[in-house]
Amino acid sequence: MLTTLGFGIQTASVLAIAAVGFTVQFGVTNVLNLAYGDVMTASAFAAYALSGVGVGGWWSLLIGGLFGALFSLALNHFLYTPFIRRGASLFVMIIVTISVGLITQNLLQAIWGSNFFSLHLSPGATIHPLGMVFTVSQLYIVLVAVACLLAFHGLLSTTKLGKAMRATAADPELARNSGIDTRRITSLAWMLSGFLCGLAGVALTLEIGSFDAGTGGALLVPIIAAAVLGGVGHPYGAMLGALVIGIATEFAATIISPTYKDAVAFAVLIVMLLVRPQGLLAEIATTKAVAA
Amino acid sequence: MSAAWQFYIATVLIYLAVDVTACLGLNLQYGYTGILNFAYIAFVAIGGYTYAVLTLGPQPRGSFQRYFFGASLPFPLPILAGAAAGGLLSAVLGAIALRRLRSDYQAMVFLVVSLVATSVVTNAVGLFNGAAGLSVIPKPLGSALNLSLLDYQWFYVGLTAAFAGLTYLVVHRITGSPLGRSLRAVRDAEHAAAALGKNVAGLRMTSFIVGGVIAGLSGALLVGSITAWSPSAWLYQETFVFFTALIVGGTANNAGAILGAILVPVVFLEAVRFLPQFGPPGLTEALQWVAIGTISLIFLWFWPRGVLPERRRVITLPGLPATARPDGSVAESPAAGTAP
Amino acid sequence: MTSADDGGREFILEVRDLTRSFGGVQAVAGISFGISPGKITGLIGPNGAGKSTTLNMIAGAIKPTSGTVLLQGAAITGLPSFQIARRGVGRTFQVSSEFPSMTVLENMLTAVQRPRGDALGQALLGRWYWRQSEETLLDRANGLLGRFDMTPMANEPASTLSGGQRRLLEIMRVLMAEPRILLLDEPMAGVNPSLSRRIESHLLELKAQGLSMLIVEHEMAVIERLCDHVIVMAQGAELAKGTMKAIRADQKVLDAYLTG
Repeated sequence: MLTTLGFGIQTASVLAIAAVGFTVQFGVTNVLNLAYGDVMTASAFAAYALSGVGVGGWWSLLIGGLFGALFSLALNHFLYTPFIRRGASLFVMIIVTISVGLITQNLLQAIWGSNFFSLHLSPGATIHPLGMVFTVSQLYIVLVAVACLLAFHGLLSTTKLGKAMRATAADPELARNSGIDTRRITSLAWMLSGFLCGLAGVALTLEIGSFDAGTGGALLVPIIAAAVLGGVGHPYGAMLGALVIGIATEFAATIISPTYKDAVAFAVLIVMLLVRPQGLLAEIATTKAVAA
Repeated sequence: MSAAWQFYIATVLIYLAVDVTACLGLNLQYGYTGILNFAYIAFVAIGGYTYAVLTLGPQPRGSFQRYFFGASLPFPLPILAGAAAGGLLSAVLGAIALRRLRSDYQAMVFLVVSLVATSVVTNAVGLFNGAAGLSVIPKPLGSALNLSLLDYQWFYVGLTAAFAGLTYLVVHRITGSPLGRSLRAVRDAEHAAAALGKNVAGLRMTSFIVGGVIAGLSGALLVGSITAWSPSAWLYQETFVFFTALIVGGTANNAGAILGAILVPVVFLEAVRFLPQFGPPGLTEALQWVAIGTISLIFLWFWPRGVLPERRRVITLPGLPATARPDGSVAESPAAGTAP
Repeated sequence: MTSADDGGREFILEVRDLTRSFGGVQAVAGISFGISPGKITGLIGPNGAGKSTTLNMIAGAIKPTSGTVLLQGAAITGLPSFQIARRGVGRTFQVSSEFPSMTVLENMLTAVQRPRGDALGQALLGRWYWRQSEETLLDRANGLLGRFDMTPMANEPASTLSGGQRRLLEIMRVLMAEPRILLLDEPMAGVNPSLSRRIESHLLELKAQGLSMLIVEHEMAVIERLCDHVIVMAQGAELAKGTMKAIRADQKVLDAYLTG
């Protein structure tokens, strides 16, 4: 059982980075970026490409993060914002993000084919902390995740940027009227969440060993489940949600079958929405305006 | 014209009728009622599986495929059952997802439903034979009619065309009636619709279930023709093809839905068949998806209302002017939240 | 069972100890009043007094935290807004809520409660089934269009209307539903003075025809011309109530408006 817990913690760490990025993106920018998983995959491929020319190893994590940040920033600047400024409806924005995801995933497929790839990293020795089984590199990933989340926490709670982001997420109108440059904050939010996205993409591929064009997209369900569980837009909630989902799905995999992990995440999501949809109920049925 | 060519054309016509049916159903849900049903293909799928399971007969011992239940019902019961299955699944999902969720969460939940449905069916092999799917599915009246391959194909063209026509009639009657107005009111401003006594949740469910029945019907008809059905045929992206069709053809316009069905799933995707095979396997398919995504983006940017936009309904009564508006189309509203 | 005030007149709609809290903030802190049939009652107060929240609670758009709303003696507290509307409570919105993709006529036809052709089975029967009833409704709509001088706009999409025309449309639309009582949420907001006068005269006409109304407004002058009875709210509670004359003389009210 402890082994399963160990797996759960691993899954949860990667999921946490991804879910926090996703929830911050949605919370601050109000764009439901369904291309998120595919940006993760693209970042992993970017890291793979660079590892081919010698920049590999643990640098891949950083490369993935940077690629994710740049890609997300570009997406927002060249695609999402122009549509938003035109007064695009919610439906249009969702189709736009799905299109981006579809295009990204299939371009990756077209370029790299249907093969599986992996970022080579030596696993290192196996250790047994607290009865759980980890290889050194797996433990590194968990530590990287924790470090990232702590850094993010620090950013959100102590810096001016963090406060501005929280204000914009809570009430864009009010934030704008209080003198916050919401456009700049939005761009920064895309960059930061994009960094987490890319980092998560690489961490994911390191964790599961091999990846293809569809790997990131496949994580979208647990990411959404974790984000919703914690309350969309609340980064700490996403961390908690990731922990719950990560551990719950691993236990489900051991007890029921490994193939039902998605279904478990989905079940959690549905139960959440039915029982405690905090913040999900539209009271007077007004949709929050899409932030510009 | 050679028999092979005739057969091909008949097959394309069958796909056309099936796609028209599917697009009309999605248009009712999305175009007229504003429901972002990103799980539409799942309803098509269940219609297909239901048809298969009700024509394959009970699973014989040692069969190469496993499935749940099984019967050999006569025509047209399996097709109607497929439609009913679509409606039933819509009722269940609608009760969960439609009631109280904000639109973007709804869209997210539907997308997740589609992904999970694929995952569950692939993994629960006893249900519908998992990833391998069901095959050797009997065609409707296949043995009873005893026609040549080509003649049967033309029969099927007639069958699907009839169902497509029936679907059009149903959708046309709904959207042109006071019920259609109520649906559009819910789409445009649901709080105002409620303030006028409209049961918003009930209206959404009605539209959703009717759309689900139509989706199930299209699935049953499709499977009856291609005689095989597996998860790879109904991945979540397929819903996107229908949405692209609506975006291109025009939403909230039944003629637009038909046009979109012709242009996107049929013309565009079939045209690719005639390109010479190049690159490794899977490349053309990947590029097709890139193209579909790009077409969506292009249309959403330049022609968001599609080729045949929603029409303004002018009511003529003595004493009422029908003001001249050259294209008769509905003006763009800066405040509208949903109509693209 | 009917509800009545001290004077023994029956109220068509009554509110008792209505409260609404958001988080820790009490937007409405226990308010009670009645709307007399055939009269126009005003609900006034400075911004943030809780007037719109109160109206929204009556209309069912917001659930009260506690308290009761009685429509001709029957409790309607907490019912969903569409059910309250079906019992004859009509309302307009502070921000014009026309259906932008539909024409003026279609907007108005939508307001009719359960016309023929509104249920699925009836719609599937086809035009011949509901055509007659639709034509009757169109006559009614035609009449309203004439009264409000909006006939030229009959087939215009609502999104192309000017702000003032949208206000008129919203009023015409809710009248199509033939409500017993009409709740107006700041009907003159953003409306130019001449149109404001027009709307006022329409409202007085409606009153003469027996329609009971509750108007939320924060402009004293409008209330003065229209209302028979006024409730003044401040900070979620009742500050004063009575005729406009009495209100004008009330020091508490003057203070609230000067500081609020």
